[in-house]
Amino acid sequence: MIKTFFDWLKQPMGMIAVGIAFLVLFSVAAFGLYQTQQAPEQPIQFPHKTHVAFGIQCLYCHPGASKGPSAGIPTQEKCWACHNQIQKTQTSALLAPLKDAVIGNTPIQWVPVAIVPDFVQFNHRAHIAAGRNCEECHGDLTQMTIYENPQVMNMGWCLNCHVEAAGEDQEKLIKLSDCGTCHY
Amino acid sequence: MMATLSDLKISEVKLSGKEAGKWGMVIDQDICTGCQACVAACAMENNISFVGEEDAGYGRSMHWIRIERFWEGEYPEVKMTPNQPMMCQQCGQAPCEPVCPAFATVHSMAEELNLQVYNRCVGTRYCANNCPYQVRSFNWRDYERPEPLPNQLNPDVTVRRRGIMEKCTFCIQRIHRAQDQAKAEGREVVDGEFTTACAQACPASAITFGRTDDPASLVSQLMKRRSHGVKHLEELGTLPNVTYFKGG
Repeated sequence: MIKTFFDWLKQPMGMIAVGIAFLVLFSVAAFGLYQTQQAPEQPIQFPHKTHVAFGIQCLYCHPGASKGPSAGIPTQEKCWACHNQIQKTQTSALLAPLKDAVIGNTPIQWVPVAIVPDFVQFNHRAHIAAGRNCEECHGDLTQMTIYENPQVMNMGWCLNCHVEAAGEDQEKLIKLSDCGTCHY
Repeated sequence: MMATLSDLKISEVKLSGKEAGKWGMVIDQDICTGCQACVAACAMENNISFVGEEDAGYGRSMHWIRIERFWEGEYPEVKMTPNQPMMCQQCGQAPCEPVCPAFATVHSMAEELNLQVYNRCVGTRYCANNCPYQVRSFNWRDYERPEPLPNQLNPDVTVRRRGIMEKCTFCIQRIHRAQDQAKAEGREVVDGEFTTACAQACPASAITFGRTDDPASLVSQLMKRRSHGVKHLEELGTLPNVTYFKGG
């Protein structure tokens, strides 16, 4: 039984079958990889570019960035402060989830996109204080609807910037390339 | 030319560094009552798992600090020696570091502490076997935290999973938080501004934590005032950063 199967695999039809199997496996793997790089589904199709175009500062909605580790995602109350004065909020279908959230007093379940693993301790405040701007890591939000990471946020990417920031300063380099600065 | 990571040589930095480490601890065994408040506080601060009865029976209890008790003399004349809180001594020349095949336990050049980098650890347990103080603990399982216990996890500390070695960090998250706070306010970290969880919880103030390289700090003052401090297993050349006082 097994022997005849392997003999069949050596026939032209069998070769084609092996080829198709490989192609299927490859495309499934490629699709899986592609999926990991996609922005997740959000409860509201939040248009960052519209809000930035109105001149709203990043720190107005994400005030934690200048104060502590987490930048924070605004609650529906913050959205409502502006949106209840806007006529479009009442009519737009895209904004219906926001209206429901405010009326029902249920939090909007935003999905964080720019995240680091649990074993990384990231602090926004230190980076803002060091003179980094939001768009240096988070990309040009004047062009984005739902937020997407402009690059893979991995340790090599962090360290490149840390080493560059240290420059000639040995003491700073030791601090910025120390494992314990981010991992504990 | 810009300095790169490969230009740094650990040995050079170590040799050029001060003999005393940066952070240190002083433990007064005469005041310690062995109440285990430090053990509980440490477990809360650092998200340490509770292994349960069965695994504790196998000697797999996880504590970053423990109270050691010893007895002296033969049966009718048994005398207990003072309680001895034992945690990672944050050795200057740590025996755990050179044996790690994954470089998961490394020396922090910035804070002069022994680090355990959880995402590098592959769980060989070589470091624990080489530690003369027996202060490292290993996650033998993913110990479950039933609801609502996950709510008390400290967000500043990694939640470790199965197959990871862990140990006392001198509450490095508190060090970083204090440094960050001080930097935000444009000043230096003041001695006594923050302390480790064990020192904070100790009702008898038997544990003191601070900068040993700063002669004005409380830790340095205590070490100076009482000259008979003992560093455990110092003869091994580990350069421990915890000083014990007993019988003063």
